[in-house]
Amino acid sequence: MSIRLALAGNPNSGKTTMFNELTGSTQYVGNWPGVTVEKKEGRCKADKEISIIDLPGIYSLSPYTLEEVITRDFLVNEKPDVIVNLVDASNIERNLYLTTQLLEMGIPVVIALNMMDIVQKRGDTIDVKKLSAALGVPVVETSALKGRGTKELMETAKKAAASAAQPAKHAFSDGIENALSQISGMIRDVTEEDQRRWFAVKLFERDEKVLARFRFSQDVRDKLENIITAVEEELDDDAESIITDARYQYITGVVKSCVKKKKVGMTVSDKIDHIVTNRILALPIFALVMFVVYYVSVTSVGTILTDWANDGVFGEGWYPLGIGRAAYDEATAAYEDDVARRDAWLEAAVSEGIDVSAVTAQLEAEEPDTAALDQAGAALAADADASALVATVVFEDEETGAVTTEEVDFAAFEGTLAAEEPAPEDYGTWIPGIPVMLDNVLGGLGIADWLYSLIMDGIVAGVGAVLGFVPQILVLFIFLAILEDCGYMARVAFIMDRIFRKFGLSGKSFIPMLIGTGCGVPGVMASRTIEQERDRRMTIMTTTFIPCGAKLPIIALIAGALFDNAGWVAFSAYVIGVLAIIISGIMLKKFKVFAGEPAPFVMELPSYHMPTVSNVLRSMWERGWSFIKKAGTIILLSTIVLWFLLGYGWENGAFGAVEDINNCIMARIGSVIAPVFAPLGFGRWETVVATVTGWIAKENVVATFGQVFGFAEVAEDGVEIWSNLAASFTAVSAYSFMCFNLLCAPCFAAMGAIKREMNNGKWTAFAIGYMMVFAYAVSLMVYQFGGLITGEVAFGAGTVAAILVLALMIYLLVRKPAKADAGADLRKMSVQANG
Amino acid sequence: MSTLIVGLIVLVIVFFAARSVVRRSKSGGCSGCSGCSGGCASCHQEPSPHDKV
Repeated sequence: MSIRLALAGNPNSGKTTMFNELTGSTQYVGNWPGVTVEKKEGRCKADKEISIIDLPGIYSLSPYTLEEVITRDFLVNEKPDVIVNLVDASNIERNLYLTTQLLEMGIPVVIALNMMDIVQKRGDTIDVKKLSAALGVPVVETSALKGRGTKELMETAKKAAASAAQPAKHAFSDGIENALSQISGMIRDVTEEDQRRWFAVKLFERDEKVLARFRFSQDVRDKLENIITAVEEELDDDAESIITDARYQYITGVVKSCVKKKKVGMTVSDKIDHIVTNRILALPIFALVMFVVYYVSVTSVGTILTDWANDGVFGEGWYPLGIGRAAYDEATAAYEDDVARRDAWLEAAVSEGIDVSAVTAQLEAEEPDTAALDQAGAALAADADASALVATVVFEDEETGAVTTEEVDFAAFEGTLAAEEPAPEDYGTWIPGIPVMLDNVLGGLGIADWLYSLIMDGIVAGVGAVLGFVPQILVLFIFLAILEDCGYMARVAFIMDRIFRKFGLSGKSFIPMLIGTGCGVPGVMASRTIEQERDRRMTIMTTTFIPCGAKLPIIALIAGALFDNAGWVAFSAYVIGVLAIIISGIMLKKFKVFAGEPAPFVMELPSYHMPTVSNVLRSMWERGWSFIKKAGTIILLSTIVLWFLLGYGWENGAFGAVEDINNCIMARIGSVIAPVFAPLGFGRWETVVATVTGWIAKENVVATFGQVFGFAEVAEDGVEIWSNLAASFTAVSAYSFMCFNLLCAPCFAAMGAIKREMNNGKWTAFAIGYMMVFAYAVSLMVYQFGGLITGEVAFGAGTVAAILVLALMIYLLVRKPAKADAGADLRKMSVQANG
Repeated sequence: MSTLIVGLIVLVIVFFAARSVVRRSKSGGCSGCSGCSGGCASCHQEPSPHDKV
């Protein structure tokens, strides 16, 4: 018999953990119809007959939030066979408020008393049998995190599903019960018996959604209103408060009889929060945490892994576990030293007028003839001038910078002729990089040049460049998952509220930005939780300033190519994002359309707990897989289009494949726009093209550079693509480029989200325009002032423009704010769930 | 012949990539990213369910 089981409970009660524990990988994740709240369904892995629906986390079944409406509509209309109500045992009073409402729905309920391990650690006790008797439903102790109690829970749920729902045991006061009885009579003909009580209570509370459902005539409405008003006058309170108060009185009684709390001082979570949310220490701690996150992700561990990916998997190749690498590197160094000696002697010989053409011809040949080389060498040995020549070669130690000189006589030169480039496979198990393998395969197949170019210079160059940063992405996501799972991220919104409030925003505006560190699209969408329209719009406009996961490759690229993987670069990108939000908030709040006090901010801080390996890895994998899939879809398609635009154009009066990349279609288009970016330090068509392709997906910036600078050619000549890139930038212009791409308009997907959330063309255009102007202004100042300091920029029109921009920004920051618009009241957020 | 075969393979890959992008943008489902809160880069979203005041 197939059973539909609904998981309901407060946020942070462990529903998702329980859901993942019960369903494992057999789950489908989508959206509730018409809305963007996540809907999770799955099959119980221990019993495939049980289908589990994870309802959104809610505190009650009121009609005020999207999540609440979705849950109650599902329970009323879909009527699952059983509800498993997850109750956080460590916050039992608050959680039971929802329980009392679920018990009225006429559906069998089983309570999963979760997080009992936390209760036990505190020294508290809960009499589960008494609790079950008091509530009238089965109660099962569980620890979703540790997988305890799940089997018993499913068995109990199956039994409950097979039996009829028990009527709710709790009763209100006589006056309220009398009113409910009258209301029940009014709706007897239009409701099912088991749901009648819930509807009666909701009508008593004047629930708008339920009233709309019944479409009462005016007479009936008047009668209903009289019933409610009578009770309100008797108890001197409004109907909703009466019910809420009655529920909490009941809950207090239940908790008193079943829960024994050990008298202790602060909990561990409280002690940690005492420090972490401290008025003075909170922000430095947060800054330190984010510095460590970005340092490890981008600079230390991340760099090691990305070097392996870029140089190994997508480069020449790699040795598993590094076995053989040291010996190969030593042999390569010795070979390169021989080549340096040889080239130094040949250069000296040429300057002395000695004919070395026979030798150089063989050395430059694709496949040197050893016999001919020996013969040429012997001919030189017979030359008196040659045999007496002593050249000097200079060696510079890359690590220490120490310079040494060495004399190269003819005997030493002759010895270098026998030097052969070491083959990596001679020193260990060598796995060639993907470009090398593909080159061998495609070369062996003898495919057409254009197809070879499409695959190697287009797809491999572009997608490979992006995938090379996957290790850094995964490391970053591991850290973010740890911070979320342990409960620290929830504190960040609280910490930022204190700061944001000074600038007219609330911590609620920071939550979308926290989400935006993964992806800007859900970050923008999360702005729906902000009730005030003006704050919501401002949040939408500034959320994407925070670097998202897709921007990390840009940051890592600049940090690696131009700043030698300095740890401060990645962290500074995050700081720039936060500063951009704060500065924008201050400036925009001074305008009438945004002026006004921020809304109060109340949030629940979940208890800290050790992050579980499975949760962290699952979160890391899900996000990382999304990144990889994007590389294989949107970026793949973009690189193909870009390959054509970079490889074809008008050259020598005809359209076709171009020899000089500066004649390609993209170069011609980019060159038109490039002068606009000259004051920012990157007025080249390549950088403009990279920025523009970044609007398809931010990772495309890296993919485009990979194609423009010949990423796949690493396999051939071993020259690092990123050193080619470094030659195109100075440190200041690179940082300016990074700032622009971090702050400018986000990708098209995020722009689409902005358009939907603004729901207004003018506001959307304003938002995008604001980001572009802000990004341009910041980059202008970075390059012009930074360039003045380094000496690469002379004082000129660009500098004057930067000074004016700075002056304008300062003015906008310090000017008196406009008064709030009297007509701009709080937007009441009522919700309609479609479907 | 080899050009044809390899070209067809590339075409098939491109077809599936394009189909994946189009499908995800139309279906309204997300890619399963736990951090996306119901949305991801390729989600197609219904109009915002905000009521007018």
